[in-house]
Amino acid sequence: MTEQHAPRRKERRRKPPFFQRPWVVAAVFILPFLVLYGVFRVYAVGYAVVLSFQDIQGIGVTDWTGFSNYRRLLSDSTFFLALRNTALYTAGTLLVLIPVPFVLAAVLQSKLIARPVALRSAFFLPVLTSLVVVGVVFSLLLTTNGLVNSFLGLFGVPAQGWLETRHLAIPAMIIMATWRWTGINIIYFTTGLSNIPKELYESASVDGAGPLRRFWHLSVPLSKPIILFVTVLTIFGGFQLFVEPLILWGGGGGPGQGGLSVVMHLYRTAFTSFQLGYASAIGVVLALIIMAVSLITLKLFGFFKKE
Amino acid sequence: MTTTRAFPRSMQLHGQRAGFRPLLLSVLASAAIVVAACDSGGSVADLDNGGDDGEAMEANPDHEGEEIELTFWTFVDAHADFLKERAEEFNAQSSEYNIVINSSVADFGEMHDRLLVSLQSATGAPDLVDIEIGRFGTFLRGEVPLHPLNDVVDEHRSELVEERLAPYQLDGVEYGIDYHLGTYAMYYNKAILDEAGVDADDIVTWDDYIEAGKQVVANTDAMMTSVEPASASTLLGLMKQNGGGIYDENNEFILDSPANVEAVQLVSDLVHEHGIAEATPGGENHEAVYYEAFNNGEYASVWMPQWYMIRFTDFMPETEGDILVRPLPEFEPGGFVSTMGGGTGTAITTQIDDDKLDAAKQFLEFAKLTHDAQVALWTDLGFDPFRDDVYDHEALAEPDPWFNDEPVMVNLQQTFDRLAPEYTGPRYPEASLQLGENVAYEVIEEAADPQESLERAAEQVRSLDE
Repeated sequence: MTEQHAPRRKERRRKPPFFQRPWVVAAVFILPFLVLYGVFRVYAVGYAVVLSFQDIQGIGVTDWTGFSNYRRLLSDSTFFLALRNTALYTAGTLLVLIPVPFVLAAVLQSKLIARPVALRSAFFLPVLTSLVVVGVVFSLLLTTNGLVNSFLGLFGVPAQGWLETRHLAIPAMIIMATWRWTGINIIYFTTGLSNIPKELYESASVDGAGPLRRFWHLSVPLSKPIILFVTVLTIFGGFQLFVEPLILWGGGGGPGQGGLSVVMHLYRTAFTSFQLGYASAIGVVLALIIMAVSLITLKLFGFFKKE
Repeated sequence: MTTTRAFPRSMQLHGQRAGFRPLLLSVLASAAIVVAACDSGGSVADLDNGGDDGEAMEANPDHEGEEIELTFWTFVDAHADFLKERAEEFNAQSSEYNIVINSSVADFGEMHDRLLVSLQSATGAPDLVDIEIGRFGTFLRGEVPLHPLNDVVDEHRSELVEERLAPYQLDGVEYGIDYHLGTYAMYYNKAILDEAGVDADDIVTWDDYIEAGKQVVANTDAMMTSVEPASASTLLGLMKQNGGGIYDENNEFILDSPANVEAVQLVSDLVHEHGIAEATPGGENHEAVYYEAFNNGEYASVWMPQWYMIRFTDFMPETEGDILVRPLPEFEPGGFVSTMGGGTGTAITTQIDDDKLDAAKQFLEFAKLTHDAQVALWTDLGFDPFRDDVYDHEALAEPDPWFNDEPVMVNLQQTFDRLAPEYTGPRYPEASLQLGENVAYEVIEEAADPQESLERAAEQVRSLDE
């Protein structure tokens, strides 16, 4: 279309000065992003894919090895252990970080709470807290005689060695993730809930629906897109698990490697074993896994259905 | 009524979705890309504990020698201060060179990662760098990016405790110089032993230690010791003492050797058979909960390298005057009674300018290996020197009131002829992780069979090179 019209316009009026032409202006604004994106994302990703077909061990030693890094992955029991840990962590965060913030957002949105803004800020504070501080605080909270055990003790639960027991490593990280990410998810859900027209609630009330029914039959279905959005973000976050084990356990693997995540395994492969090629292969496979899980989630939510 | 109200709802949904789908897909794509590109370790930089970005000494303008600025990376503040002080001493004595140390201190992991990247990409590495013993092996693969230091070490070799050089060697070439010997010792809490009726000097063999431990458990509220389920050092100390370790002198990987199995079995027996040891609170001997427990008299002993002395004076005030520093109990008569633990080798990278190399070598020799330098390792850093002839210096011969008023360093020196060496090799870092995360945990917390656990760990490490 544009090409057909261009010659006619050219005859009719003079071209504007170079820097005032719309595409030049647009390019000037977009270029910085494109350059940065190209160098630090597209090039980096492309290079990682290239590296995944190479054997790089030690400095200056590089061989092309075809798919051998990918074949090795199939027999790498540590990778599968890390994948299992990461998947469990992701599932755990999904179970907690979707319903809890959603209910809290709905409660804060309702008229039940006197000072919703103050509470919302309080919930959001952990997002802004320095990771080092979070690490120190949670090391103290989760010790055997820490606050978490004292709280559970009120319900008769015996003291647990959260940071010292293999099978409690993931629950410990989920506890920490809940504290850190509930606030941000409340913000997402609040945004979604505030887009629902008030008249719907009013008319539902007139029709005799109580708060619970309004929540279940209005808030939940109408928030489906935002729930989907947060779910996918949580899946990304879960599979990229790295910082939590690093700050809870100096080495990053946790007791009996119960806290070893895929990205931690990738990181160690790259920087401890210095096998950059193999580490890149782990990264590529992890990206594919995240893509697959996310697409399955979108499918389950009916995202691809034509309306 | 209801129908008309339902209409805007479907509009609403549809409207939200139309703009939402591209957004979600783009987030999906970029997040996947981030993960794929995330081989830099993602958020390690977030953990930067406020390391400085470079701090140069002030050059003395009156010095007649050639000014040589050496960049130095380390992860220990005290090491940076130490080298700067040594540089001032060096400049005072040298008319040839005027050394200016420009140091950068960063978080442990971050510093080593940056170093790897800068050496791999052939730009940006410092002239001098501290590489921790657990990471040193990583830098000895492929073309070694460090300068050989044999001519520096050879000048002092006859005076040095040879075993301390081994971790930083490859094929007989020296690549790093340590800050300390790191002699393993048994630290006894004398107050608890007295209460139990045990004399530390009667403990010669591990069997004696077990018997003493039973007395401690029977007569006091304390356990004889604790063993770390989340660190390699409890196991590795005894493995080396028993003639094992991770590598042998021929650079053979020996993680599952019989000597190692025997040492790990001993640790397992202390816990599960004799009931005189338990898992260290917090998992490691560096955790606040552990310091608190030892300070409160919950354990009668612990084995750690010499550099752990400072932890008693800094973090366990109740132990003042009560700590006895003794050799490790022996596995066999006349066998090793100590070994070395931990360490950091200072190295010169191959990215140093050629015209600075000679000055850097001269300086490193002066700063780390001379008699005065080795005395300063003790007086400035509290480390045990690895030069044999400094132990009669008055600074090292002083009795220490905290440690039962004994001349601890002189006593330690008496173990030097029964000191098991430590060898590192290319997979030392990974083996050390396996020991700390898997073997120690399985054996101590889950009573796993030491041999099977060590074999599994060794298999994991070997699979890296298949």
